[in-house]
Amino acid sequence: MEKVTVSVFRRDPEVDSEGRFVDYEIPVEEGMVVLDAVKYIERHVDPTLSIRWNCMAGKCGSCSAEINNRPSLMCKTRIDSIKGGKIKVSPMAAYPLIKDLVTDVSENWELLRKIPPFTPREGIDKPWRISQVDIERSKEFKKCIECFLCQDVCHVIREHHSGYFGPRHIVKAASLDMHPLDSLDRSEFLNKDAGMGYCNITKCCTEVCPEEIRITDNAIIPEKERVANISYDPLAMLIRSLKKGRREK
Amino acid sequence: MRETQDVPIRHLIPVEFLEPNWRFWSFVFISILGSILIAEYRVPVYDGLTDPFYTPTVLILPLVVLFRLTCYAYRKDYHRHLFYHPNSCPSDKRIDNAGRIYTGETGFFRIENIHRYFMYTAWAILPFFYYDIYYSTVYSGSLTVTLGTIILTINAVAVTFYTFSCHSVRHLIGGYRDCTNCPVNKNSKNLIYRFQSKLNSHHEAIAWTSLIMFVFVDLFIRGMVAGIVPNIILIHRGF
Repeated sequence: MEKVTVSVFRRDPEVDSEGRFVDYEIPVEEGMVVLDAVKYIERHVDPTLSIRWNCMAGKCGSCSAEINNRPSLMCKTRIDSIKGGKIKVSPMAAYPLIKDLVTDVSENWELLRKIPPFTPREGIDKPWRISQVDIERSKEFKKCIECFLCQDVCHVIREHHSGYFGPRHIVKAASLDMHPLDSLDRSEFLNKDAGMGYCNITKCCTEVCPEEIRITDNAIIPEKERVANISYDPLAMLIRSLKKGRREK
Repeated sequence: MRETQDVPIRHLIPVEFLEPNWRFWSFVFISILGSILIAEYRVPVYDGLTDPFYTPTVLILPLVVLFRLTCYAYRKDYHRHLFYHPNSCPSDKRIDNAGRIYTGETGFFRIENIHRYFMYTAWAILPFFYYDIYYSTVYSGSLTVTLGTIILTINAVAVTFYTFSCHSVRHLIGGYRDCTNCPVNKNSKNLIYRFQSKLNSHHEAIAWTSLIMFVFVDLFIRGMVAGIVPNIILIHRGF
């Protein structure tokens, strides 16, 4: 049977001061994904290997890892798609390590709580009816499975701890902002409190998103344009203040 | 919108092939940039053709350059391949690290936020591209279509597509609105916004095509005036 060598990052922070890569030889089956290989190691070679997985179908966002340095879902990366034959699996580097391939992503729940929640406009008749054309933009962002690969690949979060919330959270805020029945504008919040100004549009988040959400083009840039409207564009600021003045009259 | 969102992002060359070679792509980017600067910088003044650096044209050059520099498409390229913030998404060696100063778009690059104003100036300059096409067909006193006319037309179309596929245009023509069809069943489909969104998804490819075309046209005209490149006459008819 054909075999492949998988190099897996191992570290128990309570015991080891530094991590190391351990090579395992795994028999290859047709259609095998990296998660199958890692599970094989856990079941047949070393049961002390810690991995986090759940649905095996790319929908739960649990098995996020870095495969040959590229943030990917282990369950969506086929062994035969990896060129060069070398497979290196390591945990997401942007988050604190719990053990081996498992990281602590709980800081994201705190960040999500800080985003102003959905606030429906007043005086809309129930039941709420929304046209398909209006819900499509917001719906794209609902595909997010919270695997946090975009957060992991983002150099602002990973290398510069500047207080930037990260692409996942901009997507969350954009999904609420672009909801046709929502009354808030979160762009100011994103700019001032969520550090969106630190994003320099390098589109790594879009490239790694397993749900193929166009994070930069459809969430971050539109939010940045809204920020420009509020804080940087004198013409837009003038028009807004005139409209406001007319409404108050 | 549905069509643009549901179609997976297609890459001409798979990302897996491109990304590990970040050193190569950085070299390519810097080479292109260097070539443009060398090609555009102070060439001799040929008979009948004045160099932009010696005419008032030089005054609009910063606006065009700033429009391109603050463009969302090029930001990715120069931040990745020139400043290495980051050098590439997945890489064996991440050059970006906590020790390097990084302010994103909160410091000097805050200027990116007024991209739309440079876009407005680009709109104002656009008609001159079409005037050039017109002039290239009548300059001899009779209707003349030359190879130059065709090249100028392709260039003008590329620049137009580039200018109107901009993310700021997308914001202006509907991106700022959360609701285009409220209350429901007004039968407003927001077609212009949807069409522009489709164009916008190819903004990067259009941006690079138009930039390379821009330099090519400039070199073609200079070469033609210098007598190095022949301007083939395709149609020549008296009025």
